[in-house]
Amino acid sequence: MPVTSFSRLGTSNAYNSTIANLQSRQNSLSNLQESLSSGKKINTPSDDPTGSAQAERALTRLSRIATDQRALEAQRNSISNAESTLSDITSALQDVRDLVTSAGNASFGNAERKNVANQITGLRQRILSLANTQDSNGQPLFAALGSALAPFTGPSGGTPDYSFNGLAGTAAGGTYTIAPAMDGDSAFMLQPARDGAYNVGATGASGNVVTDNVVKVDSSLINGSAYGIQITGFAGNIVNYAITETPTPVPPAATAPATGFATWSATQGFTITDMPGLSLKVNGTPTVGDTLTVDPSTSIFGTLDNAVKGITNATTSNQASQAVTQALQNIDISMARISAVRGQAGDLLNRADSITSTNDKRTIEQTANKSRAEDVDMIQAVSDFQKQQTGYQAALQSYAQIQKLSLFTYIS
Amino acid sequence: MGILNIGTSALNANLVALQTIGNNIANVNTAGYSRQSAIQTTVQGQFTGAGYIGKGVSVETIARNYNDFLTRQSTLAAANQFADQTRSDQLAQLSTIFQGGTNGIGASVNDMLNAFSDVASAPTDLTARTVALTRIDETARRMRAASQSLDDLQTGVSQSISEKVKAVNTLAQNIADVNAQIARVQGNGQTPNDLLDKRDQLILNINQYVQTSSMAAPDGTVGVFIGGSQALVLGTKASTLSVDKNDFGDPNQSKLYITQASASSSTKVAMDENQLGGGQISGLLRFQNNDLVEGRNLLGRLTTTVTTSMNEQHALGLDLSGQPGGPLFASINVSANILAPVPPATPNTGSVTLGSNPATDLTLSISQITATSKGSSDFVASDYQVNVIDAQHITVTRLSDGAVVPVDPANPTVPQVFDPTNLATPITFDGLTLTNLSGAKAGDRFYLKPFAGAANNIQREFSTPASLAVASPIVGSMGTTNQGSLQLASLAATTRPTVTPPATVAPQVKIAFLSGTSYTINGVAAATPYVSGQPILNTDPANGWALTLQGSPQAGDSFTVLDIKDASAGVTQRLNGGNATALMGLRDKVSFDGAPMSDGYASLIAQIGVRTQSANYTATVSTNIATNAQKELTGVTGVNLDEEAAKLLQYQQAYQASAKMIQIAQSIFDTMIQTLGR
Repeated sequence: MPVTSFSRLGTSNAYNSTIANLQSRQNSLSNLQESLSSGKKINTPSDDPTGSAQAERALTRLSRIATDQRALEAQRNSISNAESTLSDITSALQDVRDLVTSAGNASFGNAERKNVANQITGLRQRILSLANTQDSNGQPLFAALGSALAPFTGPSGGTPDYSFNGLAGTAAGGTYTIAPAMDGDSAFMLQPARDGAYNVGATGASGNVVTDNVVKVDSSLINGSAYGIQITGFAGNIVNYAITETPTPVPPAATAPATGFATWSATQGFTITDMPGLSLKVNGTPTVGDTLTVDPSTSIFGTLDNAVKGITNATTSNQASQAVTQALQNIDISMARISAVRGQAGDLLNRADSITSTNDKRTIEQTANKSRAEDVDMIQAVSDFQKQQTGYQAALQSYAQIQKLSLFTYIS
Repeated sequence: MGILNIGTSALNANLVALQTIGNNIANVNTAGYSRQSAIQTTVQGQFTGAGYIGKGVSVETIARNYNDFLTRQSTLAAANQFADQTRSDQLAQLSTIFQGGTNGIGASVNDMLNAFSDVASAPTDLTARTVALTRIDETARRMRAASQSLDDLQTGVSQSISEKVKAVNTLAQNIADVNAQIARVQGNGQTPNDLLDKRDQLILNINQYVQTSSMAAPDGTVGVFIGGSQALVLGTKASTLSVDKNDFGDPNQSKLYITQASASSSTKVAMDENQLGGGQISGLLRFQNNDLVEGRNLLGRLTTTVTTSMNEQHALGLDLSGQPGGPLFASINVSANILAPVPPATPNTGSVTLGSNPATDLTLSISQITATSKGSSDFVASDYQVNVIDAQHITVTRLSDGAVVPVDPANPTVPQVFDPTNLATPITFDGLTLTNLSGAKAGDRFYLKPFAGAANNIQREFSTPASLAVASPIVGSMGTTNQGSLQLASLAATTRPTVTPPATVAPQVKIAFLSGTSYTINGVAAATPYVSGQPILNTDPANGWALTLQGSPQAGDSFTVLDIKDASAGVTQRLNGGNATALMGLRDKVSFDGAPMSDGYASLIAQIGVRTQSANYTATVSTNIATNAQKELTGVTGVNLDEEAAKLLQYQQAYQASAKMIQIAQSIFDTMIQTLGR
């Protein structure tokens, strides 16, 4: 029996395995080439399962950041629209203020005052329509937590004369979002307890009294009722008056007494402190029968309407001056509200900017993650490719050389 | 005389050697050929007074160079190589179905959820709504396409298996025939080298399909066995292999059966897939019954979870006309695939029925969200087998990891058994609920495939953009006299009235803050602590919601939750996009073994990728082993041309020398005759 030896080589097997080796080299060369041309080191998930999951997650994050950013742009758009609308309204209110001031001019007659009132009416309409502005998507800019298509309606003729059809409040921004709308209730509606905006009218027998503005003494007592105060007696230094309160507050809210009195002096007039949480200084010499009306102003628009009404109805310069004083005070309160909300809008816009820059950073970060996970390192790949190429060349050459080596070549 | 005879014998012997060499050279590239060598031996010498005088040479036999051990090793290695290579090739195809990137299912799911961002920004914008609907359609389409590709792969694998089974049957018959031929020539004292080569080659070929072990019989035949002990070829008889559905008649899973050749038993015997070892058939079966099933389950779970979550959330919203949302996707019937054993397996004996009536038939459904079950978030991509132990005990085995899942929430420390008073009680496991199991008898088995068919028919349900229910049914409002810094972080409905459309407007709920840290609900005396950013839940089953407030309130501040249709809200419902935000929020819903929904596909890719990669590694290793075994084998049996060339020269010279011997014998004769003639 011939001795079997593992160092023997089957010629056919040697050829076959050499060819198989050559093919596998060619295969890896082609894979490298594919990586080089596609720029990806992962061509199928099985090349690197963890890497492809990472790349997939990074892709998800990227599309999410893009979505967040687009939503943020829409939100920023609304807020910046709201901000510029508020700026327009502020300048309109400034115009109103100038007009009101001019109406107090002692040389003005009824006709001039009427003229001023007409101009104010025009501005009030403009302000109302500005407050109902919608953004490019048809969403009201001052929708707060949700509202009707036109959040502000009025005048209704009743009380309150203007209403906010919506849900007051502000939405909190998320990590990557800001509130989509400003709180219109907070911007345009006035709360007696918070703002203390009251319109005081003085009518009656003498027409001698004019009042200062209502002063907030204790916010927690203010119940938002309207008051009618009629002078019932004035003897010595004591002024007696009757108070009617509408609507009658429901306990435990504080209530005004039915009657009251105050001490009068020629220089200081007298001060009514019977309205819960409020005080009102009355100047001039009162006459029995003089009537003061103290109405809460519930919105910026109502404030302007009151100014128009007061200025239009004023027949004396005293009455005109009364209307002007009240209007100026309430316009100032309104402007304070608006500028507070404008401040919020500015703050939101700042937040939007900072979120945008965060989003930019995250995009760069995730793009880098994605690239790290799936992109080929070109230098490494080129070097690998050259190494493989050299190896393949060497294999081909040696194969060709060895093929020539056969004993049969030498037998002739 | 002697020298002539010796010369002649030498001439003959060397000619035979040269012929053998020639045969070796001729068969250098013949697969399975074992090189042969002529074994020469001395003819017994003639005894004379001067001792034994040699009488020449003769050829004893033509020896076949082979090594039994190396042949077996090489055959086995080849079988493993074929199994691993086939599985790896199929898995590579499977992994191309689950591609990542912008064309993948994951991107479409995310695009779909992200599309609701634009709808939330502009609820009345029909374009944004249409885009969202298109994305929904696209997602369904990609899921269906992947499912279709899986079906195609399945069909290809099934066909391939049955073709290969046919090939095995032919080869087995061939081996039986060669066995017969070998047995016939057994008696003549010489080995039939070429027949032996042919048989070894046939065995190698059969191992390409299915791994065998062989055992030589004294009559020269070889018995070929598969699956450990089943005789495929015994002597001159071959058994028949066939492939059929598994015990449960599952069209997606097959099993190999063998019908023994002996006439007495013509019954099909099922082969245990795990006993098959190597070979393409076993690689394909493993791929089909494990890898493809897992691929289907992963896709099915993704589909079920995404579509169910979206349908549930969409149903909570209101569309442009104020109607509650209908299903976005066709609902998935997880109950569709419950199987019971079919012959030849032993059928169930109990009275449990399979069908589509949820009241009486065995039904699988997505479990309600309770303290112990999180519904679709608990899904595991797996099939399940239910084994009834007795009228009160069952086990549910999760087939993906072989774990027995706890089915009795009250007693999770004893996961093996379920012990209610009877089997009528619903059984909840892994986000699924099984009902109507009463009537099952001991030994009954059921096979549950909750996700296998989910992606087959998934589709978008409607195409009217206005019907997209993106408005939240409830809204909230801050008290207008609030002093604190309270802000609304989120408010979303969690349950809705079952009456559609709801008959009445849901009552308002007022949250009044007593201080910065506590509140009462609707004036009910008990104060609840308030923590900024922590959800306040209303668990009313008809009208539940989750509210999150941020910031610090002051005493007297309030927040009111009210129905969007409540007239006092004064809200235009068309402008609300609350439910679109909630739909978009599903991106972060915990599902898929704890991963957020948006990342579900990434882990699917990784799972399939790891499978493919490891199959690829295995295939590379077994290919190397097979290559080495083949090299060692051919080291013994293969023809080396250089060696043959050398031998050719060697025997040519010997032949020439023998001829010279005859020439000399002739000249001796001539000399003698001339001398005698003188």
